[in-house]
Amino acid sequence: MVRLAAFAVALFIVAPMFIVVPMSFSTAISLEFPPPAYWLGYYRNYFTDPNWLRPTFNSVIIAAASAMITMAIITPAAFAMVRSRFRGKALVNLLLMLPMAAPSIVLALAYYYFLGGMRLTQTHLGVILAHVALSVPISFLVLAASLKGFDRNLERAAMNLGATPLKTFFLVTFPVLRPGFIVSAFFAFIHSFDETVVSLFISGRDAATLPRKMFDSVRMDADPVIAVVSTLLFSLVFCGTVVIAVANHRRRQARISRG
Amino acid sequence: MSNPHLSLIDLVKSYDGRTNAVDGVSLDVRKGEFLTFLGPSGSGKTTTLMMIAGFESPTSGRILLNGRDIAPVPPFDRNIGMVFQNYALFPHMSAADNIAFPLKMRKLARAEIARRVDEALALVNLDNFGAKLPREMSGGQQQRVALARAIVFEPDVLLLDEPLGALDKNLREHMQMEIKRIHRETGMTMIYVTHDQTEAMTMSDRVAVFNKGVIEQIAPPLDVYARPVSRFVGAFIGDNNFFSGRCEKAGLFAADGLGPIKVAAGEQPGGNLVLLVRPEAVRLLGEGAPATDNAFTMTVDGVVHYGDSVLIMGTANGVPVRLRPSSVAAAHVREGESYRIGWDAANGHLVHA
Repeated sequence: MVRLAAFAVALFIVAPMFIVVPMSFSTAISLEFPPPAYWLGYYRNYFTDPNWLRPTFNSVIIAAASAMITMAIITPAAFAMVRSRFRGKALVNLLLMLPMAAPSIVLALAYYYFLGGMRLTQTHLGVILAHVALSVPISFLVLAASLKGFDRNLERAAMNLGATPLKTFFLVTFPVLRPGFIVSAFFAFIHSFDETVVSLFISGRDAATLPRKMFDSVRMDADPVIAVVSTLLFSLVFCGTVVIAVANHRRRQARISRG
Repeated sequence: MSNPHLSLIDLVKSYDGRTNAVDGVSLDVRKGEFLTFLGPSGSGKTTTLMMIAGFESPTSGRILLNGRDIAPVPPFDRNIGMVFQNYALFPHMSAADNIAFPLKMRKLARAEIARRVDEALALVNLDNFGAKLPREMSGGQQQRVALARAIVFEPDVLLLDEPLGALDKNLREHMQMEIKRIHRETGMTMIYVTHDQTEAMTMSDRVAVFNKGVIEQIAPPLDVYARPVSRFVGAFIGDNNFFSGRCEKAGLFAADGLGPIKVAAGEQPGGNLVLLVRPEAVRLLGEGAPATDNAFTMTVDGVVHYGDSVLIMGTANGVPVRLRPSSVAAAHVREGESYRIGWDAANGHLVHA
């Protein structure tokens, strides 16, 4: 009974994909279900149309840059927050979490005026800065959690064995925490790649991200290329999830076998 | 001890500025000595060790290694090895890479590193385990790797922070012998922290008994056992009977409740004292047994069987008494019955109350 319910919920969640994926192979000139016939024409359109490729490229650049800057900010923040006690720590924690608590639309409006004042709207840099602010909380939480589980005796041991603090970080701390860093950076990347509301307000035409382009396209012409992009994004996420799941499974198996 | 290898001088550590975790510790360690820091948790023994390793800086006091003050020397330049309670092996490196780590930090030649790693693996009897990751090894094997890693760079002093605490009893006893063997074979100066008095007794050249941030006594294990300087040391190491009272003249102790008890003439009279008598020194006096200097009648309240020996708890004149005869000698003892017990004057030891 529980299994049946779980299956029903799963089906409900993935149901949209059963509509979007077939539509991406459709011959219809607009979004239409069920598709009248099937072909790969819209895939060709996506991969040849600069109006689609440019936002894709923008999104990748913006997401990668946001992830890097986010990591550069939250790495020292996580070490400080987890390992030291200092005056105003609770306040710093609140500031780090604030972007998560504020509604997206409020932030979007704020960024629109704030970045506009600095002439940064409609630029990559503007979008990147906004996305960094938005991805800090979740990335910080992920990294801080893995740092909390880190055994500091490993660092003591490294130093005791003759490693300077810098060598200790790069030879011991970072390699041991690598999964935490990867997941944290991955969250920052996905958050930026996925972010729509703020991008709508500030990305303009030149720095338009993929979600913004999709939104515009749905509003203007309901171009079936949207279904193509959705399918590609879905496959990407699906593959990523499978890879992570397999890796976890292997690790667990290894743990069981050594008993 | 004309030329101590490692000296601690009036070492004090306070974390909060009010109470001292370590409250004036001074001691000298000889080259090649096996010294144990023994004490309950919170007694300051691990904090002292952390200051020697350089992970904590002393609030005041000095640490001299070969006559040189090492206060300004950061931990990575101290050349002091350390074995951690949870091993602290690098999980992403094989056993051999773990052991090679300190040698790589010292920029030794590759061939020299390989040779010394092999030697170290052989020393801890792990010849064929070099390629294994820590998580593929048992607790005992991991501890051997940690040991090999800590001695492979030939540190001036090896610190061991409760290294066997996570192992089960049989493995622990085996590793105790292994550590002693390595101590013999390398001649390394070792400081061993433990709260296990048996470990301290069996392994050490000398034991430093820590309590509340100070060393109460530092002496060879048998001296600490036979002549504890305080009630705390007498209670922490081995089991003991405590009889409070006064000593008006040499050789005679007036115990509260029990009355006069003969003690060795060398014991110092004066003030409020506690007489310590080891339970194994108290004998059951059956018919025909040789008389003892002191004898009382005791009612048995409880008997605990250990297999080889028996712990008998009872009261004599309202004073609790414990004795630990062999199970053969105590086969007839029943709860609620009364027996004659006694001990010789030489087995009593007086400390200040």
